Amino acid sequence: IPVLFTAAEPWPENAELYQQLKEEQILLSDNASSLAVQAFLQMCNLPIRVVCRANAEYMSPSGKVPFIHVGNQVVSELGPIVQFVKAKGHSLSDGLDEVQKAEMKAYMELVNNMLLTAELYLQWCDDVTVEEITHPRYGSPYPWPLNRILSYQKQWEVRRKMKAIGWAGKTLDQVLEDVDQCCQALSQRLGTQPYFFNKQPTELDALVFGHLFTILTTQLITDALSEKVKNYSNLTAFCRRIEQQYFEGQDKDSSAAVAARSAKRSLLR
Amino acid sequence: MGATTPSRPAARRPRGPREDGGPSGAPAPRRGRGRSGAAMRGQQRRAAPAGAKGGQDGGSHGAELLGRRLGTAVPAPGVSHRHGDVPVLISEDIVISQPAKILNFLRKQKYNADYELSAKQGADTLAYIALLEEKLLPALLHTFWVEAENYSSVTKPWFASRIAFPQSLYLPGKMSREALNRILLTRGGPPLYSLAEVEAQIYRDAKECLNLLSKRLGTSQFFFGDMPTTLDAFVFGFLAPIYKVCFPRVQLQEHLKQLPNLCRFCDDILTCYFRLTVSGHSPAGQDTADANLRKLTQLVNKESNLIEKMDDNLRKSPQHPPRKLTTLKLAAGGEASSSLNRLSP
Repeated sequence: IPVLFTAAEPWPENAELYQQLKEEQILLSDNASSLAVQAFLQMCNLPIRVVCRANAEYMSPSGKVPFIHVGNQVVSELGPIVQFVKAKGHSLSDGLDEVQKAEMKAYMELVNNMLLTAELYLQWCDDVTVEEITHPRYGSPYPWPLNRILSYQKQWEVRRKMKAIGWAGKTLDQVLEDVDQCCQALSQRLGTQPYFFNKQPTELDALVFGHLFTILTTQLITDALSEKVKNYSNLTAFCRRIEQQYFEGQDKDSSAAVAARSAKRSLLR
Repeated sequence: MGATTPSRPAARRPRGPREDGGPSGAPAPRRGRGRSGAAMRGQQRRAAPAGAKGGQDGGSHGAELLGRRLGTAVPAPGVSHRHGDVPVLISEDIVISQPAKILNFLRKQKYNADYELSAKQGADTLAYIALLEEKLLPALLHTFWVEAENYSSVTKPWFASRIAFPQSLYLPGKMSREALNRILLTRGGPPLYSLAEVEAQIYRDAKECLNLLSKRLGTSQFFFGDMPTTLDAFVFGFLAPIYKVCFPRVQLQEHLKQLPNLCRFCDDILTCYFRLTVSGHSPAGQDTADANLRKLTQLVNKESNLIEKMDDNLRKSPQHPPRKLTTLKLAAGGEASSSLNRLSP
């Protein structure tokens, strides 16, 4: 991003966030990422409108959702979005010292490394889930045979990546173990504080909220994944707190509130 | 160091001279998951195939560190290595091959470096390990396996020399391809379209990661105070190869050298747990130096003996008039020169 140019313009009113279709198409991992970005922008008090498009993934500059369209800039994924917002003068982590910033980055990597990868595994490598949820949902806006082709293509891509990082050989139980370990780490880090860095939320809080809330409110073949998260009461309280503060406090018709409500309904058709 | 661990060698010391940076700690696509990549290298005394086959995690250095720290004994059973995956721990007929499993095994045997850590610190350990794997590992893989000059001049001969024929012909190439594959699949999506852009990005990330580690370490001796823990082992496993291996292309190493507290951290662990002096000469290296010295001494002695013999010959030879003296001198010179010829290697 040409950071120098963006710094001059303030945040416009018509900023948009693009994701896939909420009811029929979007998958667990993409929903989590999208919710994380929405939460982050809410925490920064920046208005954003959620737009659902079937081809959001293809419009995105990096191939990943969500992406935001601000002025004439298009930025995708939480990391670059955080930097972009910082260039505009809004930041949640300015109050942290160097060591805390390092910790925050480390925990964000932990969530990406374990939670996101586990979600991807569950969606694309677990045969039952793939057959019953992922394939029908992923290609749903498109006619046959395009829907099958697209979802097989995506599945092949994700499985290749899993193989490269060594997750292809894992069983579902091992993956759930990893999720449990990750949640335990997050729970221990959070402790009894309201946010991860005590008084103020940061992008880490947004990211964790995005993933955990989505896991808790998405109905899959089994409840095993959400059970793992429910074991840790401070995490569920954390999710509820952020939801109440940043999503339900909004106008009922606002997109974020709608997103939160629709995420509550099952993503299983 | 203030450590109360027993100082007897827990894990076997790796073979070979250490000057160029220690055992094959090169990380490879087969990464260990979970809490840490620390594992024991129980295979050193097995034949060469075990040493480097299948590639290693960056945590294998840290593995040995962890072993020493915990003082576990690693016996050398007669179990031959069949897994093609290192690091491997062999203990009384049990063969364990993945870092996380090895760590679990050690924990069940009641060896735990994280005993004194609080819950939050345990969580921090996991987080930093994830950070290392995401940000530092791609650049490390690249330096070792993808960068053409490094690979052909250092990594490939090094690994090939430790792997038995005929695997030495194709295994390093396979590991190199797997490394490139991993880098491209995990980091190579749009908007980075060429390998050069991906490389630039991963090195930027790696340098940022090193900076973060340096800030986190600060001035303390280990990451959680005075006693090393799993995280220290893991970080050491990643840093030591960068720090010590002499590559032609060394941008990561140069960056690391600008972070004195991380260099000091590596040196401390090497001295303490791997019995190296800071200059990097292991006792094994010292032995070879001694052997060389002995050889040189013998050579000098031989030469002095020959010179003495020459002197004796000269003294014994009868005194002749000047004419014949020149002939004698020439003869002596001839003899001397032939002796000298015998001396030269």
